[in-house]
Amino acid sequence: MELRFQPSPPDHVPPELMVDFDFFKVPPGVADPSEIWTSLIRKGVPKIFYTPHNGGHWVFTEYADITDGFRNYSIFSNHQTPVPPIEPYPVMQPQGVDPPAHKVFRSLLAPMFTPIAVREMTQEIQRRAIKLIDAIADKGECDFVEDFADVFPTSMFLYLFGMPESRLGDFRQLSQTFFRSTDPDVRAKNITDIYAELDALFRERQQNPGSDLASAIVTARNEAGEQHDWQDILNAGFLLFVAGLDTVTNTITLVWRYLAANPEARQFFVDNFDDPVAFQNGTEELLRINSVANIFRRVAEDCEYQGVKLRRNDRIVLSGVLANRDPKVFVDPETIDLDREVNVHTAFGVGPHRCVGSHLAKREIIVALQEWLRRIPVFQLDPNKSQGNVLTGSTMGFSTLNLSWER
Amino acid sequence: MKVLANVNLCQGHARCEDLCPQVFGTDAVEGKVVIIQPEFPDEMEAQVRLAVRNCPEGALRIFSN
Repeated sequence: MELRFQPSPPDHVPPELMVDFDFFKVPPGVADPSEIWTSLIRKGVPKIFYTPHNGGHWVFTEYADITDGFRNYSIFSNHQTPVPPIEPYPVMQPQGVDPPAHKVFRSLLAPMFTPIAVREMTQEIQRRAIKLIDAIADKGECDFVEDFADVFPTSMFLYLFGMPESRLGDFRQLSQTFFRSTDPDVRAKNITDIYAELDALFRERQQNPGSDLASAIVTARNEAGEQHDWQDILNAGFLLFVAGLDTVTNTITLVWRYLAANPEARQFFVDNFDDPVAFQNGTEELLRINSVANIFRRVAEDCEYQGVKLRRNDRIVLSGVLANRDPKVFVDPETIDLDREVNVHTAFGVGPHRCVGSHLAKREIIVALQEWLRRIPVFQLDPNKSQGNVLTGSTMGFSTLNLSWER
Repeated sequence: MKVLANVNLCQGHARCEDLCPQVFGTDAVEGKVVIIQPEFPDEMEAQVRLAVRNCPEGALRIFSN
């Protein structure tokens, strides 16, 4: 196999920019995933540095460079970016394609996730959230990850793709294996299984189109008036399956973990049930401080950036935690201020690849907060149970979150 | 006063619409900003400025008439 996108050995990296940093490992004593990144800054690393771990990659540590990494696709490509490098890697549509070709699938998906479109989905989001919360409210305890954070976005995926709720178990199994398994054979079979489900679904919708996302993708026509390439259709389905699950699961897990330990923050949201702007501002702040995604880019051509020599195919890791705690941009960045006045966080990225589902994700989180706090306004970390492990990698979070409350 | 958007910079975060829906909306095709009321009254200045400062793409500008 021709390896076209493998990074070169780091001969071009000066020793002063070399740092021993492995973001796939949780250092001992780390209780919160963001500490993996904030401990780096406390150590005093160069603002752009290189680590030999995970195939070797650069890390940008400041907001200005991280947002440049997101936006400037002529230098920082989004095509074939995985860290550690894997080839061949599925070209997710449109996420793995740079502009201008990116526009084809972006234009196809964008209308289905605009604020206008998401407002139409709110009732269904509420219905699904309430169903899950009602099933656990009387128990007085739960593993929040298992009983809510993991199920809710999967349930929303079924809704978007017009699939019955009876398929929830099957799709949870597929997504859990995708995000948690480290066995290469299990992973390979899992990806084959996901693609087989998508293939069957798109074939069925081609015959009987409905008003769902899968039908919209399979019936869309390209500039020549033809159906899009079948592999691209599958890859768009694959992106929508993987992009909206683990990210939402881990974000809400981190948010609920914070709320469990902070009664005044719970009170803030309860007090603002009737003030959507304040409620959303508070949510934006929790998104800023709980940015779970580590995003990858690939250097398109040899170049010099901010005085640093970059070589074609070098990988760049863009950390939401570092961008969103940059004191040059955020006043008192380590303080969680639910009334924060200016909050240009990058939890969903910036630039042309800004998360297409961000408004849906935010609505899911806001609705979950509203419906949970209406039913379970007071809750805490269960003192009788151990808490989960910190998860790290392309998405960070916790394996379990045991909560308890008065029934 | 007047507020204008650079739609080439706008990526549809919709923070302006969240913070000041009287002046900013978003379209149904790409979710990009639509300025409903470019010339806004002086008493709205603080709210419009807040929306402008919260644009993650720096796509909005205020001009004095």
